[in-house]
Amino acid sequence: MDIQNTQSQMRKGVLEFCILSVIRQGEVYPSDIVDKMKAANLNIFEGTLYPLLTRLKNAEYLTYRWVESNSGPPRKYFVMTDKGLAFYEELEKTWKELADAVHLLTQPATPTSNSNQQL
Amino acid sequence: MKKVININFQGRVVPIEETAYDILKQYVEALRRFFANEEGKEEIINDIESRIAELFAETLKKGSICITDIDVNNIISSMGRPEDFDGEEENVKTQLGGEQKKQDNSNYHQQADQQQYNGGPRRLFRDENHKVLGGVCSGIANYFGIDRIIIRILAIIFFGIMLIPYLIVWIAVPSSATKVIGSPRKRLFRDMDDKILAGVASGLGNYFGVSAWIPRVIFLIPFLSFVTRWSHWGLFDFPQLLSLSFSPGATIIYIILWLILPEAITSADKLEMKGQPVDLNTIKQTIQSDMEGFSGRAKKFGEELTEKVQEFGKEFAPKAQQFSTEAAYAARRGSRGLGDIIALIAKIFAYFILGVVLFSIIATLFGIGVVCLGLLPIKDFIIYDGWQNVFAWGTLVLFIWVPVIGIITWIIRKLIKAKRNSFILRSTFIALNVLGWVCLISLIASISKDFKYANNPVEENVTLANAKVAKLEVRLSGYDGKYYKNHNRWLDFEPFAGFTEDTAYVPNTRVRIIKSKTDSFQVTVLKMSEGETKAQANNLAEKITYNITQTDSILALYKGITINKTDKFRNQRIIITIAVPVGKRIMIDDKISWKHNVHFGFNNNNWNDERWNRNYYNQDEDEDWEANNEYVMTVKGLERIGRSGSKYNYKNNHGSDNDDKNPEELRQELEQRQRELDEEKRQLQNGIQEKLRQIDEDKRKLEKTIDSPAVKTYRYQKTVSTTKPANCIQNASDVFEEDMLPSRLSSYRVAG
Repeated sequence: MDIQNTQSQMRKGVLEFCILSVIRQGEVYPSDIVDKMKAANLNIFEGTLYPLLTRLKNAEYLTYRWVESNSGPPRKYFVMTDKGLAFYEELEKTWKELADAVHLLTQPATPTSNSNQQL
Repeated sequence: MKKVININFQGRVVPIEETAYDILKQYVEALRRFFANEEGKEEIINDIESRIAELFAETLKKGSICITDIDVNNIISSMGRPEDFDGEEENVKTQLGGEQKKQDNSNYHQQADQQQYNGGPRRLFRDENHKVLGGVCSGIANYFGIDRIIIRILAIIFFGIMLIPYLIVWIAVPSSATKVIGSPRKRLFRDMDDKILAGVASGLGNYFGVSAWIPRVIFLIPFLSFVTRWSHWGLFDFPQLLSLSFSPGATIIYIILWLILPEAITSADKLEMKGQPVDLNTIKQTIQSDMEGFSGRAKKFGEELTEKVQEFGKEFAPKAQQFSTEAAYAARRGSRGLGDIIALIAKIFAYFILGVVLFSIIATLFGIGVVCLGLLPIKDFIIYDGWQNVFAWGTLVLFIWVPVIGIITWIIRKLIKAKRNSFILRSTFIALNVLGWVCLISLIASISKDFKYANNPVEENVTLANAKVAKLEVRLSGYDGKYYKNHNRWLDFEPFAGFTEDTAYVPNTRVRIIKSKTDSFQVTVLKMSEGETKAQANNLAEKITYNITQTDSILALYKGITINKTDKFRNQRIIITIAVPVGKRIMIDDKISWKHNVHFGFNNNNWNDERWNRNYYNQDEDEDWEANNEYVMTVKGLERIGRSGSKYNYKNNHGSDNDDKNPEELRQELEQRQRELDEEKRQLQNGIQEKLRQIDEDKRKLEKTIDSPAVKTYRYQKTVSTTKPANCIQNASDVFEEDMLPSRLSSYRVAG
């Protein structure tokens, strides 16, 4: 059992949820997502972000539009679709349940990583 | 010290250290491999690239002169390396409802590749990712959406034919790596800032890193030589048509470059235009870097091939086993596979046919164009200045050369996927070509009008210096062994028997032989011409001067009818009739160029071999003859004597060349013939002596009858008395001439 692997697995499980919640707040440029997540102490590689965004876009949870930039070519800004919103709400519900469950379970001060891994 | 190159990266011009560029290139390659099976691969890479480009722009904005290794490494670590996000991918994929099926077989790879190339407008790239040598084959396979193994096998089978196209594509077609991240290589643009005409020369100068004046001068040199060498037809040395030393060639190259090269408009274009110079060194570098690991890749290709074959075998073997039970099913599958192959072959075949058709159109027009250029020097002898001249040039340029350039441009633009101005270009070409048609039709109409009427032929007698010779040999004079000077292997084109500044010689002569009604040779000339009016035709026919001179037994015909630039060529032609008296001989030299009759047949004016002289002469009189044969006129008509003139018999005249008989036999034969000849000679000499004796006797008798020995009368008598024996001797000497002996011999042999 590799501790690092387990940790990253835990993080990655919620990654998509976090990204979606940033996008839900309004139209956003990918590097802003990274910045916001960094500010929340959640590090993510842009190299990971872009494939994720593309996949979410292909699943029609997101859409984007080109915004002219004053330096260089136009940029892609992402925004959430209705379908994405429904998806997000589902995730949010699951997260809340999970967080509660984890909270309950972790209270007795016997942390187990097994329960998290089931994500 | 590091080399800095400019790249066009996601629409930005980025100055970057060469080493940093290599790191970046490797990184993008790694990403590409990592996302190879991903559905939105191209988009993901693009997004990442544009983000990197943005970060580059930020770095540069902060005051850096160029992007360094450190910058690139920093950016890469912030973006994350493939190994950093390895593993997490599968996780995310399964989260998204398992939409992405992980397939690792080669089929899937290929689909992904096709998507990559279907993404934008399809362009031909050398495939950097799947290359064995230069990535040419896999690039072509990607382009047509077929398995690269097919192209490779074809390339190996047709190694000989494919080699040169392969090398051309290798050099000319950009690698797919340049598509991934900008190209450090230069591109050829037209330099609009430094242009004189269209910026082609200055663009070329930029490309090769030389002053724009060098290409300019190179383009101009042929024009200078065009002026200085105006009177030399060497200029029209057609095999070099496309070489720069030939001025139409230089112009054509310039025009084509003008049409296919884009203008350098944006600053990125300009930087690309002036980027790293393309010289032998960089080409060498490209090829070297392509060749790196060639053996390994080739080995891989070999393995791939065996694998495929094995796979095929594996697939095939069970199918064969199942054949009895699942015959119908297997057949259906098999036929579908076969159908695909047939479709593919049909596709390749169709492209091939299309290519061949296009190529032959170009080749034909090109050929006509070249011939017409070859006709240029004789243009002034046919058409008038003014509208006719305009139409002629219009036809040459617009009707013939414009389509050639148009089609070549179209093909090149098609290949490089150019889009700009296509409509304007096409309409321009079509308009110009329509104008060309108009010119052609006008030219034909206008010229045919000039040939409308034929003259009333008038036969003229040619006075001969000595009409009573025993033999007439017809030869060509003024002929220097060449006709039209532009005589080369590309174009066997000799309509006129030579030129000077203002005179052309047309070999429009025909010789007919008839039986003379008198005892002397008679030569008549029939002059014919055409013209805009009957009067003009008559006038032109009258003006025909044709030189026929007789010296002893040689009748010299001049090499051609002279045509000057004022009167023009209007199908002037002559028929020379030689009337040969019975018992006299005639021989016609084959240098008289019977085959090169020049004419324009606009009005269906009975111009072919049989009808040439039917208009005027009764053909029944005509005698058949062949050049280089000696004939004697008999009461029945022409009869061939010997074969002294023809090459075959000339050879036979020399006994040593005859290998049918051995030398001993030949010598005996020769001796016998000699004896016969000696006998004949003796008899003839006896005859002469007999005759001389008779003449002497006559003379004595005559002298007796004269009462006064007046000088005048004596002289008269003397002439009378000497002419007769002289004639006899002449006849006899014909027989005894030394050079006649062999010919007599051969005629004996033929008889024997």
